[in-house]
Amino acid sequence: MSKTTAKDVEMKDEESKTQEAPSTPKPVPLTPAEEIKANITLIERAVSTLEPRFTNRVLRGLTHSRRKVNEEILREVINDIYKDSPTGKSILGGLSGHVSESSTMEIDFTSTRSGQKPSTSAEPLPETEIYLRLLILYYIIDSVSNLPRKRSGNPENTKLSGDSEALHARAVAFGHATVERIRSLNRRSLDPISAKVWFALGRVYEIKGNLPDLRLLLLDAQRTASLRHDIETLATLINLILRSYLLTSSYDAASTFLSKAAYPDSSLISSTTPHGATTNGTLVTSTTQLLSNSTSSPTQLARYLYYVGRIRAIELSYTAAHNHLLQAVRRAPKAEQAPGFWQEVHKWLVVVELLMGDIPERGTFRHPVLRKALEGYFEIVKAVRTGSLSQFQNTLSTYSKAFNADKTYTFILRLRQNVIKTGIRRLSLAYSRISLREICVKLHLDSEEDAEYIVGKAIRDGVIEGRIVHERGWLECGSQSKGAYGVEVTDSFNRRVGFCMQLHNESVKAMRYPLNAHRKELAAAEGAREREKELAKEIQEGDIGDDSDLGDF
Amino acid sequence: MVTSQLQSLYQQLQKAFSVQPCQLNTCKNLLAQLKVGLVEAGLLVPQKEHNLDDLTISRDILEMGAIWSVRSKDVPSFDRYFSQLQTFYKDYSNVLPPSPQEFPIRGLNLIRLLTQNRIADFHITLEALPAEIIYTNPFLKHPVNLEQWLMEGSYSKVWAARNETPAEEYKYFVDSLMGTIRSEIASCEEAAYNSLPIKDACTLLFFSTRSELVTFAQQRGWEIDIMGEQVRFATKGEEKLEIPKRKLIASSLIYAKELEQIV
Repeated sequence: MSKTTAKDVEMKDEESKTQEAPSTPKPVPLTPAEEIKANITLIERAVSTLEPRFTNRVLRGLTHSRRKVNEEILREVINDIYKDSPTGKSILGGLSGHVSESSTMEIDFTSTRSGQKPSTSAEPLPETEIYLRLLILYYIIDSVSNLPRKRSGNPENTKLSGDSEALHARAVAFGHATVERIRSLNRRSLDPISAKVWFALGRVYEIKGNLPDLRLLLLDAQRTASLRHDIETLATLINLILRSYLLTSSYDAASTFLSKAAYPDSSLISSTTPHGATTNGTLVTSTTQLLSNSTSSPTQLARYLYYVGRIRAIELSYTAAHNHLLQAVRRAPKAEQAPGFWQEVHKWLVVVELLMGDIPERGTFRHPVLRKALEGYFEIVKAVRTGSLSQFQNTLSTYSKAFNADKTYTFILRLRQNVIKTGIRRLSLAYSRISLREICVKLHLDSEEDAEYIVGKAIRDGVIEGRIVHERGWLECGSQSKGAYGVEVTDSFNRRVGFCMQLHNESVKAMRYPLNAHRKELAAAEGAREREKELAKEIQEGDIGDDSDLGDF
Repeated sequence: MVTSQLQSLYQQLQKAFSVQPCQLNTCKNLLAQLKVGLVEAGLLVPQKEHNLDDLTISRDILEMGAIWSVRSKDVPSFDRYFSQLQTFYKDYSNVLPPSPQEFPIRGLNLIRLLTQNRIADFHITLEALPAEIIYTNPFLKHPVNLEQWLMEGSYSKVWAARNETPAEEYKYFVDSLMGTIRSEIASCEEAAYNSLPIKDACTLLFFSTRSELVTFAQQRGWEIDIMGEQVRFATKGEEKLEIPKRKLIASSLIYAKELEQIV
């Protein structure tokens, strides 16, 4: 629980860090209040130019501004912007703890609108209001999650102390009021912000570990969002719903939900992946950068891929799970910026790779962020690689607690058969003929009879080639070379080429062109054509080149 | 509310259910009446707040129904009862006192999934249960072990475990599981052996008499050499390797098209 919480926070951190760089290298750092105001100007510009890019930029800096914000700053900004208008008061109410009813707010809003129609420019936009509400919500969340940790240092802060209990209740009430407000406003330009609000509300519930209580509301909102093509919110909501299902281990429900609810821009997900491409090489960064321009945010996509990967793994469709998890790694922020998520995904990736019969790359376990978290998994990999059942069982009992906490224990249990298979394969490679008794001893199997069945199954499943000679009680190992090699190579070549093509096509699609830029180019082209014409004319007339070119001779 | 009529029916069912041997037909009639009664009382699929006693009684009735279905070898009916019980086990778990029958029935469900070879569903169901219960509760441990043995191929352990069932009802499913195992073993043998002595084939396939083996061999198309006391498996010729022309052409065309777009 604590780990996943860290993950959420870290993922957001990254967004701010990478994107903040270009927007803040100003000589004089702005005061937080000024910064928020600058952000609000950006949001207003986004609304007036119908360009959601500006809003997105503000939201990317959310974690950044969130850290600096405190009650005074918020109060100052709100007073500055709203002066004495009722909307401002209702927002401030959230800050001081008196959340007014959403219905009254609605009336407030409509009255101000109809009353001051001519001077609407004076009244701040509703987007601004929701943005401020979002900041307040985060401020309350931060104060809640900071309180108990300081006191007890207990990572599992599901039990909150008295103060934070009250704060939490305030956050819940304020969050619901904000969501209600968004619903009553119903403006498309609000969509990106509303996604963040939902995410924050999810966090509020998560702090107390009762996200499942929110599920009904989430499902409701998800329906609305998908009807309105509100991609950002839809992505956030789908993730929250999946998360709530996974928390209660309702995998069947999650799976049904997946089959019914389509994730926005699903074309990106079904992409084929090259097998064994470097997971932390340049490819990853380019993909993430590329996708930051795509419709729904890459972090939400990474999260979604991770959840789907887990669900597929439980359903035993390991190839699908592997694809999704690999994509999740690629789409996730860099390891140093999102260590929690990175570790979590890699744990699953390692297990799924093992279940598929592959051995994960050793480099994964040397990665500074992963080394410690994947310790137990590394031991398991070693056991699987050598095919030693006793080592496997030992590791399993040593790390059982960690595996249980990661919810991977049952998956690792499923690995037992893989350990046996690897063991048999190693034996079949090393010996041309080996007695069943020997196999039994070497693999620590319980009886010779079992060994015979197991070897038989291995032959049928194509793990090894060979024949059992029952009368003499031995296994004759056949040659390992397989004729089907060529087809496999073509297939994987196909997959890789497909991936590269897709990457190329996506990057082309993701390019942005400034408005009217092509005019200039056209003009330039026109000029060039003009010059060419002249040149042609001159050549035709025969008075160009000859003299000047031969002049030096 | 549970009416007095329902109450008396419930008591009759309890009596008929606990008698040894179980009166299957009486139970069937009573269950049908009780279900109608439950629907009328809104308790079959409870949605609102209900009296705790009422909920417990309806859960009891459904549990008896589930076990009755297994006893009368009616798997679809078991499926229905089980999904109706889900509401009680999941949504009312923090209100109702835990039922002693819950884990036996859950275990029965798991083993049913195994016999139907629905391994993915088996794992999904298992994953929803807390880990510490799975490995300590005898009713759940049994199907979990069976699955593990089946997957790794320790068929003799599965065979041996058929007499160690934690409850009488498991036997029905375990018996049908044996049929699945036999065909599994048979397919393994086809791949792993050229020939087998008849006697050994009997032991490997858990047949007690030779005639059983002979009929089984005929079904699978095995050759039986009476003189040499051997079972011969048809050896499959090496599969001919074909170049997937169409596929290659199609992918080359796609490459060409994509390259065209880039250049």
